[in-house]
Amino acid sequence: MQLRYLFTSSTSHRRRQKALLGLAGLFLLVIFAAARGLSQTTSTEKPVPILSGTAGFLSDTTAGQTLLDTQFNPVLLLPLGERWLVESRGEFEGEFQRPPGGGPFGGPVNKHLDYLQADYIANPYVTVTVGRFLTPFGIFNERLYPMWIRALQPDPLILPIATASSDGTMLRGGFPVSGRVNLNYAAYVSVTSIGNDGVESQRHVGGRAGFFFPGARLEVGASWQKVLQDDRKNAVGFHMAWQPRALPLSMHSEFVRSNQGSGYWIEGAYRLSQVHFWEKATRRTELVARGQQFFSGNISSDAADSLGLPGMNTREADFGVNYFLKDGLKLVGSYGRQLSSAGDFNQWTVGIVYRFLIPLGRGGNQ
Amino acid sequence: MKRVPVLVLALVLALTSFAASSNKKEAAAVSPVVRATDVDTLRAQGEQRFRANCGRCHAAPQKFPPRAMATVLRHMRVRATITDEDMRLVLFYMTQ
Repeated sequence: MQLRYLFTSSTSHRRRQKALLGLAGLFLLVIFAAARGLSQTTSTEKPVPILSGTAGFLSDTTAGQTLLDTQFNPVLLLPLGERWLVESRGEFEGEFQRPPGGGPFGGPVNKHLDYLQADYIANPYVTVTVGRFLTPFGIFNERLYPMWIRALQPDPLILPIATASSDGTMLRGGFPVSGRVNLNYAAYVSVTSIGNDGVESQRHVGGRAGFFFPGARLEVGASWQKVLQDDRKNAVGFHMAWQPRALPLSMHSEFVRSNQGSGYWIEGAYRLSQVHFWEKATRRTELVARGQQFFSGNISSDAADSLGLPGMNTREADFGVNYFLKDGLKLVGSYGRQLSSAGDFNQWTVGIVYRFLIPLGRGGNQ
Repeated sequence: MKRVPVLVLALVLALTSFAASSNKKEAAAVSPVVRATDVDTLRAQGEQRFRANCGRCHAAPQKFPPRAMATVLRHMRVRATITDEDMRLVLFYMTQ
């Protein structure tokens, strides 16, 4: 299908040439803008390379079947000069289960590269990214995915939609449009994509825009993605993040509509820092609740399964507790109940998550 | 006709570039001397920006060494698309 797309249509070939010329011109303009733009990092603190990331161990019991999930997700940040950043994240995940007849735990160790990108901060309004990057569709994939950040360890049901890593280029940035509102945006072109079940080739374009109101600590935004081949389907999404000033509460929500399926999730995490008994323990404790719903799309249940999506309409409610032992180290626990026509089941998750950060090279501890 | 979106984007980039250069001139006109009261104000603003921006996704981490913090903030500048001013103020707050 890819080759047919590439070689059978001279019209599309001309279109691609025009698009490439346009992108080349755009890139040159960004460089020109950079030459005139304000430096992003005139701080006296010279950044150093750092190795960061998350390590975690989870015991996940779904419908009576226990999965031991061990994850190690290193993040390498390599700043170059005043404007460049090379960043990468790998994912190593061991998923161990007992075989159906009984016996010791065993299973595969999956590893893949989530992103390896070079960022050029051209000016206060534009950053140019080239390489493999997390697709900016919604907010969970880019911002909330790391184990130490997410409030509940199970993924939202709609996460696989339009969020596979992209390979290509992206323009992004954030800037104030008034004293009360910041605009953030991302626009990207991807020439290949890594599917959930292996390497799949795909071309797509998309973007995300969000308005952040610092006074209300509210962000609302929308995402869009269009596949440039086969059925050329669109996916659209909306997101919200809100941290009210009066409460230690953090609300997040996403909605997505696509050919592969549609759905939403809404989550609230409440830190018990305002509770005035057992303060030593309660101020380290966070209660979480998430409600979500998934509606099947126009793909087969096998295709949905290969993407990591439910094969049928599904509802789920999750409740969790996080206990922060110290900075970067937390105990997690959650219970979820999933309801669908295939049957209802419980999902229990307990574990421990650790976030590390190690400055590299000389001067890293200064 | 298909070049119109590209031209519009090019125009936007050019305008942002000129806006940035004029900001630079204005910034250069301001004295770089920072008084103690200004430091307190900047720290307070930095904390405010930290809570508003970083708190959107995660709880407050500990303060890391300044040069490591500068890398983290550059990473967040890209990842969380925080504004340039927010990045500078949060960096100031986190390194004091």
